[in-house]
Amino acid sequence: MERMTEEQVKTIANMLRKRSLWMIHYCTGCGAMELPPTMTSRYDMERFGLAPYVTSRQADILLITGYLNVKTLRRVITVYEQMLDPKYVIGFGSCALNGGVYWDSYAVIKQLDRYIPADLYIAGCMPRPEAIISAFRHLMELIDSGKADGYKRYKRNLAYYKENQRKVLG
Amino acid sequence: MNMSLELLLATPFIGGLLTYIGGKVHRWVRNIFAVLFSLLTLGEMSLFYNTTFKGDVWGSLFGSKLILQTNPITWLFLLIVTSISLLVIVFSVDDMKHEEDHIVLDSYYMQLLFVEGAMIGIVLAGDLITFFMFWEIMSWTSYFLIVHGGKKSMDAGYKYIIMSIIGAYAMFVAIAMIYSKAHSLVYPDVALVLSQSSPTFTIWIIILLGVGFFVKAAVMPLHTWLPDAHSEAPSPVSPLLSGVLIKMGAYGLFIIFYGLMSANLAKNIMPSIFSTPVLLYIVQWLAALSIVLATFLAIMQEDAKRLLAYSSISQIGYVVLGLATGTSLGVAGGLFHALNHAIFKSLLFLAVGAVIYRTGTRNLSDLGGLVKKMPFTFVALVVGIIALAGVPPLNGFVSKWMIYEALLQKKEVFLLIMAFVGSTGAFLYVYRLVHSIFLGQLSQKHENVKDVPILMQIPMWVLVIATVIYGIFPGLAMDVIVKGMKMFGFAPIAYNLYGFPQGSTMGALKVINIASVLMISFVVAWIFFLLFSKSRKVSQYDNYAAGQVVTPELKYNYSFGFYMSFGRVIKPIFKISIERIYNYWVDAAKIFGDYYMRRVYTGNLETYNSYIVIVVTIAAAAVLLGGKIW
Amino acid sequence: MVKMILIAIGAPLVAFAIGLSFMMIKRKIVARIQRRYGPTIIQPIYDVLKLLVKEDNISHGVIFSLGPIIAIAGSILAVFFIPMAGFSMLTGSGDLIALLYIMAIGSLGMALGAGDSANPNASIGISRALTLMFGYDLPLVIIVISVALQYHTTNLSDIVAAQANGNWTLWTLPLSAIVGFVVTYGALGEHPFDIVTAPHEVATGPMVEYGGKHLGFLMISHAFHIYIEIALFVDLFLGGASNILIFYLKMFAVFFIMIMFDEVLPRFKIDDAVRFYWKWPTVVALISLIIVLVK
Ligand code: SF4
Repeated sequence: MERMTEEQVKTIANMLRKRSLWMIHYCTGCGAMELPPTMTSRYDMERFGLAPYVTSRQADILLITGYLNVKTLRRVITVYEQMLDPKYVIGFGSCALNGGVYWDSYAVIKQLDRYIPADLYIAGCMPRPEAIISAFRHLMELIDSGKADGYKRYKRNLAYYKENQRKVLG
Repeated sequence: MNMSLELLLATPFIGGLLTYIGGKVHRWVRNIFAVLFSLLTLGEMSLFYNTTFKGDVWGSLFGSKLILQTNPITWLFLLIVTSISLLVIVFSVDDMKHEEDHIVLDSYYMQLLFVEGAMIGIVLAGDLITFFMFWEIMSWTSYFLIVHGGKKSMDAGYKYIIMSIIGAYAMFVAIAMIYSKAHSLVYPDVALVLSQSSPTFTIWIIILLGVGFFVKAAVMPLHTWLPDAHSEAPSPVSPLLSGVLIKMGAYGLFIIFYGLMSANLAKNIMPSIFSTPVLLYIVQWLAALSIVLATFLAIMQEDAKRLLAYSSISQIGYVVLGLATGTSLGVAGGLFHALNHAIFKSLLFLAVGAVIYRTGTRNLSDLGGLVKKMPFTFVALVVGIIALAGVPPLNGFVSKWMIYEALLQKKEVFLLIMAFVGSTGAFLYVYRLVHSIFLGQLSQKHENVKDVPILMQIPMWVLVIATVIYGIFPGLAMDVIVKGMKMFGFAPIAYNLYGFPQGSTMGALKVINIASVLMISFVVAWIFFLLFSKSRKVSQYDNYAAGQVVTPELKYNYSFGFYMSFGRVIKPIFKISIERIYNYWVDAAKIFGDYYMRRVYTGNLETYNSYIVIVVTIAAAAVLLGGKIW
Repeated sequence: MVKMILIAIGAPLVAFAIGLSFMMIKRKIVARIQRRYGPTIIQPIYDVLKLLVKEDNISHGVIFSLGPIIAIAGSILAVFFIPMAGFSMLTGSGDLIALLYIMAIGSLGMALGAGDSANPNASIGISRALTLMFGYDLPLVIIVISVALQYHTTNLSDIVAAQANGNWTLWTLPLSAIVGFVVTYGALGEHPFDIVTAPHEVATGPMVEYGGKHLGFLMISHAFHIYIEIALFVDLFLGGASNILIFYLKMFAVFFIMIMFDEVLPRFKIDDAVRFYWKWPTVVALISLIIVLVK
């Protein structure tokens, strides 16, 4: 048997990964409200192989649902660093994207991307289940084409991220 | 006249004295003497191993001959005694180094050797006087060994010696009664007298002797001394107590059940239940109760050595349960379990002793995570607990399996259920032991702990190897046991080197197949595991805590009250604790005394024993007055 | 000889396939009960393979990594001792009583591994698992004894053979069979006995620190576990089977009824679970045992 090239292995692996995505949702904000309907019978995200999981070691996707503040950011970073590669981050709702309604708050982290690499954002305050599902579908495409490489970016630009984190967390 | 048995018996005593004198010269002389003489005893034992001496007269007392004799069962127990004693003495050399006082240490080694000699004497004894003499030497020297363990051990030793004395009185009464009838105390003569005299007399003799053995074997309800004594004794002494000394009780029971009173005799003089004589049936129930209740108690312990002590009560329950079945398979199972228990319980006590040596605590909730610091001790402990839990392919499994099969054949289902429950309960406490000591979070104060010195590791390794060998090749031990049981009139059991073929029991067993398939599937799974990307080692602080960062100051560990919820389930059972029953009797006696016998019962000296005293007195009175009980 | 080797390789694979197929079917059926569409039928395969090809794996130490391996090794061992559709394999080397302990090897290995993860959630999970095991073991041994006494043997192949021609233990000892069914719930950790992994309480318990290939191995061993428990039930009470298809159908029937109850039940507290097992199942099992003894 001919040895499979690395490329082929990667393609197969990516195919598997996109079909089975386990997420750990970090529910800080109101946006998490829309997840239960997405999981239950109306929209049923298990159709796509998506399932909620419990600990950081088991999950593939970190879902930041809503605003982050200084206190929660530290936890998010811990969780993210504990997850196993390949891992993906989705910023959920305007708050994670740019601060949303809390754009002028002193305590809220406005831009998730400066602290951990987000692969995808879902806009909306709060995003509807349809939007969530379409975001996951998009993530699957990204994974398939190998473009969801946030975890590689984090490793490559570790200094940059750490610097930003340090500025906020002190 | 053949002097070999006398030589075997005398070696440890002479060695003990020489060791004591050697200690006056230099401590190394003492250590070397101690090791050398126990090695010599083991050597002599293996030299004569499996030869039968029909009876060596070594003296006489009150016109009764004093006899030393052997049979294969004797060799089984001698093997246990001599080898465990040697390992214990080797282990002591490093473990007792902290003891500053040389005189204390000198006498410590002397007592160790004396206990060994006394136990050899008990096993070799061919008549009741020799037996009783060495029995008393054993009780007293082991008492002195127990009180080496510091302040608390004084109380424990006190409890132990008082109960032993009561047991010894009971035995003494029985021996005197026999002597008054038979004028000879050699085993065959005694057996003859017992078979000819009235059933009541025989039964009282059995009961009185039985009390003495029950105290030593710590069968409920006479077990209360054991948890304290075994846990407070110095770490190297505990394996000797738990592994070997309580086996002397089991040996005694074997001798009275099948040596002095053959099973046929028992059947003739008393009614039978499930084709077991009533007396043996009661013993079985006591043993089964020991198994279950001691298991429950062991689950709730917070102290490593106390946990093991309670588990000893439970495991000796299996031995007695097997011995009292009266069928070949059951008795063989009981004897084999005595050997196995000696091996794995000594191993466990040594491993825990090693942990205590390095960390200075035996409180389970203070320990944790030591697997990274003491890997060898960890392996030893894991092997020990697997054997204890009765999981194949290690040795505890085979003997327990035999006992189960024997009970199943006799349809004694309720006893069987209790035996099973005790075994599953063992999973709980053994996991508690290994988890709280070796797994979980390593606390900061144990960062610099190292594995124990080589001299302490060697005994553990020897026992690990023995555990594995007797587990995979049960035939090795069965050779001796079956041969010995033939001499006591049991039908032989079909067995082979690897287990039991179909037909001899209700099912078949071949441990080597279990072991090899397990090994192969393990290797296959491991190779499969290695195919995937390598794992990276992370520190114990990089741990899931729902996003919280775990820091060394934070104790992120679950070890106190490990089975708290289970404790809630079994709480009702422990409303009736045996210790409390004794205390109740003592209290009752005190109140009684306050009114009537103030002068007699002034203190609470007999705390745990007034109960037994009363029983013994009544028993003696009943027999002397010629009363009948059934 | 060739046949032996084929069986040695084939039996674990077949067992795994059966267990895996149950895992697949379970998710689909559960989805339908909850009025969802459910995942694709081969979703568990994707899950396992994805876990195995994770780029990064973490380990807390040697014992931590050995845990899942021993879990699988113990499961494979147990597979050989359960008669599968006429092949008795190693049943001559260890009987029913030995099997009870062989089945524990995997779980104990797993328990050691989980303990090494230095996470209190894992420890609590193991503490619950062992407590639960103690709970269901009492009725389990009683029914095992009843069956052994019924057929005067503890050899599983003989027990299966004695039930030939539809003379199943289910008909002769219906009470034991019911208890056996209830015990299987606890042994598989299905609702209402999913106390061990309870994700909302102890964050999947023993598996809390396991991810990547370790978790993949645990899922594989779970597939084996499903097979072992249900195959044992089929062999003891439904008369085993002479060919693999009937064996599968019988197992499927048992499993199907199990999930039907499983999905609509809530979760016990751990001490209530033990109390439950020590109350009704034990009493019923004892009644059945006495019937066997008297008969
Ligand atoms: S985006 Fe809107 S819904 Fe989401 S957390 Fe912010 S405010 Fe709440």
